[in-house]
Amino acid sequence: MVNNNYLPFKAKILDKYQQTELDWTYRLECQIKPIFGQFMEVSLPGVGECPISISDFGEGYIEMTIRTVGQVTEGIEKLNPEDYLYLRGPYGIGFPIESFYNKHLIIATGGTGLAPVKSIINYFYAHPELLKQCDILTGFKTPSDVLFTSDLDKWSQLFRVEVTVDKLDEFGNLEVIPNSCSRKTGLITSLIPEVQLPSLEDVRVVIVGPPIMMRYTAQEFLCRGLKQENIWVSFERKMSCGLGKCGHCKIDETYVCLEGPVFNFTKAQTLLD
Amino acid sequence: MGYKYTAAAFNQLLENLRKKHRVYAPILLKGKGKFSDADLVGYDEIARVEEVVFNQKSYFSPKETFYPITQTLFYFAGDEFKESVVDEKGIIVFLRACDIQAVERLDKIMLENGLSPDYYYERLRKHLKFIVMDCQESFDSCFCVSMGTNTTKNYSASVRYENGLYLSDVKIDIDGLFALYGEQFEVSPQFVETNKQMVQVPQNLNLESVAINPIWEEYGARCIACGRCTVVCPSCSCYTMQDIFYEDNPKCGERRRVWASCHIDGFTDMAGGHSFRRTNGERMRFKVMHKINDFKQRFGVHMCVGCGRCDNACPEYISLAHCIDRLGKEEVGNCG
Amino acid sequence: MTINTKRVMKNAWRITRDRNLTCLRIRVPGGYLPVKLLPLIQEIAERFGNGAVHITTRQGFEIPGIAFEHMTEINALLTPLIEELEVKIGVTIDQPDQGYPSAGTRNVVACIGNKVCTNAVFDTTALAKDIEKIIYPNNPHVKIAVTGCPNDCVKVHMHDIGILGQVEPLYDAQRCIGCQACINNCHKVSTGALTLVNYKVKRDASRCIGCGECVLKCPTAAWTRGGKYYRVVIMGRTGKKNPRVAATFLEWAEREVVLKLCANLYVYIDKHIDRSLPKEHVGYIVDRTGYPIFKEEMLKNVDLGSKAQLASILNFAGPMYDNHVSFLNT
Repeated sequence: MVNNNYLPFKAKILDKYQQTELDWTYRLECQIKPIFGQFMEVSLPGVGECPISISDFGEGYIEMTIRTVGQVTEGIEKLNPEDYLYLRGPYGIGFPIESFYNKHLIIATGGTGLAPVKSIINYFYAHPELLKQCDILTGFKTPSDVLFTSDLDKWSQLFRVEVTVDKLDEFGNLEVIPNSCSRKTGLITSLIPEVQLPSLEDVRVVIVGPPIMMRYTAQEFLCRGLKQENIWVSFERKMSCGLGKCGHCKIDETYVCLEGPVFNFTKAQTLLD
Repeated sequence: MGYKYTAAAFNQLLENLRKKHRVYAPILLKGKGKFSDADLVGYDEIARVEEVVFNQKSYFSPKETFYPITQTLFYFAGDEFKESVVDEKGIIVFLRACDIQAVERLDKIMLENGLSPDYYYERLRKHLKFIVMDCQESFDSCFCVSMGTNTTKNYSASVRYENGLYLSDVKIDIDGLFALYGEQFEVSPQFVETNKQMVQVPQNLNLESVAINPIWEEYGARCIACGRCTVVCPSCSCYTMQDIFYEDNPKCGERRRVWASCHIDGFTDMAGGHSFRRTNGERMRFKVMHKINDFKQRFGVHMCVGCGRCDNACPEYISLAHCIDRLGKEEVGNCG
Repeated sequence: MTINTKRVMKNAWRITRDRNLTCLRIRVPGGYLPVKLLPLIQEIAERFGNGAVHITTRQGFEIPGIAFEHMTEINALLTPLIEELEVKIGVTIDQPDQGYPSAGTRNVVACIGNKVCTNAVFDTTALAKDIEKIIYPNNPHVKIAVTGCPNDCVKVHMHDIGILGQVEPLYDAQRCIGCQACINNCHKVSTGALTLVNYKVKRDASRCIGCGECVLKCPTAAWTRGGKYYRVVIMGRTGKKNPRVAATFLEWAEREVVLKLCANLYVYIDKHIDRSLPKEHVGYIVDRTGYPIFKEEMLKNVDLGSKAQLASILNFAGPMYDNHVSFLNT
């Protein structure tokens, strides 16, 4: 008998904390051991199902940072600890984490793109000896959009963390960003020319964010002399299944849910929507 | 083994097949055409062989008989997920060689793509048996020969109507019924070996040059993104999930899936507003490339089976056959 | 010269500005003419007229420039035309070789209908012919028109009786993929009767006018065509007093009801017409008798069936020429 690959399982919300006006992080009781960068299909029965990346995980739990931008996420926002979410997965190809060992890892993210790589940063924060060096470049629209401020503060104890905002807004200023980070205004691409690359061969770059941000950020790194194969990106697409059936995430002959969401840039740059 | 049947004998065969199967065939749906006083050839259950339309191509493809347009996956009640009930009856479908080839394409996506077969597709697909309808003559929009999909050996039985008799080549008899009601007779199924339109199918399109081809702008200006080409297509497989609460009982609801179309607005929309392929030209390129390039790269065969239903359905008279031919001829021109 | 103008006009000939010349009016029920009849029209125009025809607003022909003395000869020539266009469809004409027996009740006009048009929801010519059979020949000045859909290309709203096709759309939710083509289109081009509920479509029957646009736009045949019905609009008119657009009398009426109404209209006119006038248009009779009496007599022996909706009042809008304009420069 074939398993019903659409049947979700129940996951209790253990904790819920607010990141920004729209972003909440949920800690869910869950025994799965995902690969860094994988996603799950999260559902609220009767409301809908959507793919959401795993932002962190540990013994008996996973975390997801969810932005309230649609029907499902609006429904999720109303939930509280002890309530349940329904999950399928994990799905997709994650980051080749071991290939980053003993390298100079640069993680560049835009907006909620920080969530899918949070677990990687935490992993290397716990095992700094596995990397030669780590830079975290993260951009947000405004100071009030900055995610994981306490984590940024924590990470900046070990790694160089640069936070940039596109513009200042009426509700926040750069003070909301921990002062242990380097705080700037401007697009994330403007940070790249100044990144120190002592050994180009050792550099591995992970870029996650909106499509345009990923394209231009990758270009900047290519300008700095990086090889395409040393850059990884993570795609976000509409998905109805996560199983390679529904067709929504297909680009060319590639299914983002199966061959992605993480792609080496040699592949990513050939994908034409 | 070949058999011949009078209409009465074939109807007895049908009557007995129907005890354990739903038997679907292209029939004339009176008044169901788009325009008033127009009929439509579409799929429905049959009880008598005289209902089967042999001399026209069905407007819709047979896929709806085993891959429903709307399919409930679960029912919700409180915390409970209850799987939808499956009809355990077999499904027998009258269809053409190209249609059978198209089911093989659907199988690639639904059964082979990814790590596991699609549960809901598989549970109906395993009950499916084919009765291939001979194609003695090609219809106007057919280009199966160019796509190499004009024949098939993948069927339980074949059928054609000739001189008042139904002739059948039976490969795998169904419960011995074909033998029981038929009179032995030498039959080999007939398939067309040429179409009115022969299409130059491109062999190895270069995505970068295809992407900048000006024909997409032309098609974009003509296409109205209605999605008819995809819903009549026998090999289009995309779907979208829908969750609902019942209006009169908001504690209960269901998760279902419905066919989706890469031509229709919303196909790539993500929560938050981002979407891809906003222009109709890009959507046309995406579909065409899927049908005659991408799918083959992944599975080794073209997705398009040349049934030509999309050409018949397009209200803007866009012809996929012509588009493929243009790309094929341009490719040859560029090489030569 | 001596002619009986009343008899001449009743015979479908005109009194014209040229004292010696008349003009023949040919009616073409539903505006659908077998072209085998064109040579006859050409022959009359060339032999007796000035070699031209005028194509009328009522989908007939007027052949001008004919001397009165040829009327009898031409009436005889018209026989095959009258046989083909009138007698053959069931119109009772006692002496088809003596020209048209009456001209008061005008040609029933119709759009091309579902023979050609994608929007039309029924065969307009067929209905026009069936109406012709009931109302012709007749003397009262009555204008009836038939159009295939609410687009009303024929301007049935300017007629005494205007008939617009309606189709009841049938919805199969299982076939619906939720593309919303029907909903968006209904909002754009029709009455916005459709909404999306739980990804499927709900139709507000009270807003739906039966235009069939949803069926035309549906890619999966989730919407198909159900029964054919008719909206009957009445007492639209042009003229020197009070031009106005017709008001809806019935909607979702069945074909038999429409035909019966056409017949009853003549009974009503006969009963209430002011015979002291040379002619009285039916609209003014209704203005005089009031809607309740009109309604009662129109619906005599009519079974409206379960679907038909009857107007509680006639809601006319139209200017009165003698009081609606205020001019800037007095």
